[in-house]
Amino acid sequence: MRIVCPFCGERELGEFTYLGDTKPVRPEAGASEDEVFDYVYLRDNVAGDTSEYWYHGGGCRAWLKVTRNTLTHEISSIEPAAGAGAAKVDA
Amino acid sequence: MVDFSWAPRSPLEKALVAGVHGARRIEADVSLTEIRNFDLVQLMARRGKGTDLAKAAKARFGVVPPDAPKVVQTPDATLIWSGPDQFFVLSKGGKHTVRTLAPALSGPASLSDQSHARVLISISGAKARTMLAKLSSIDLHPDAFPVGAAAATSMDHTSVTLWRGNDRTNGQAVFNVLVFATFAESLWHTMLDSGAEYGVAISHSENLA
Repeated sequence: MRIVCPFCGERELGEFTYLGDTKPVRPEAGASEDEVFDYVYLRDNVAGDTSEYWYHGGGCRAWLKVTRNTLTHEISSIEPAAGAGAAKVDA
Repeated sequence: MVDFSWAPRSPLEKALVAGVHGARRIEADVSLTEIRNFDLVQLMARRGKGTDLAKAAKARFGVVPPDAPKVVQTPDATLIWSGPDQFFVLSKGGKHTVRTLAPALSGPASLSDQSHARVLISISGAKARTMLAKLSSIDLHPDAFPVGAAAATSMDHTSVTLWRGNDRTNGQAVFNVLVFATFAESLWHTMLDSGAEYGVAISHSENLA
């Protein structure tokens, strides 16, 4: 698998690290145990397009948001995650 | 009080043995030169200050710093892209150090001295690209990686900053690699192994290519 880094161009998988699903949002302080359990442990096991964080640690060290099909590995979109590239993405 | 004397030493001081390594030919087809005693400062734009950094750097260096994987040459410094809104300033002789750059650039950017944190290896010779192809997954063909091209990439699982300098007078390409000091010896040995079949001419120099 190759990933097209928006900053560096097409690179081999070995330069990237997978973090996981972009969807879980950290619950507010004081959230219930169930909500925290859900956030920490429970993930959807989607057969199809998923949105994932990948880190280009072996390259420009930017975090990327990648839309990948888990059935075909086809990548349909790659964009910098918030904060990647101080000028390019609003905080 | 104990007297300390600080003698700067290259991280490759033990590993680098000047001479020829590997195949003995009339002329070694790979040349590895460690460049010593350089000034290297990394500038990273503060959040939302990328444009301000580009403006301040233009005022300081007379050129717009690279905003894509490439290098920009000034008469006395090389500006090397190292990631979005960040670049290295490579120079010699104390003209561009954190101390001299900070007044103009520390507003829009964080500055960090990398002079002793990286090793600079210059690779040339008829088989330089063939040797590097064993270590790098990126396309170094002249059409894809011309003079002035740069890449933040990995070689042998080690993060490096790679760029193509000006060709030698004989037309041969020159590739420069900045590698973390503590990983330099490992990468150096890998380069020697990769180049052994072509013959490697090993040296060190004080001059930036």
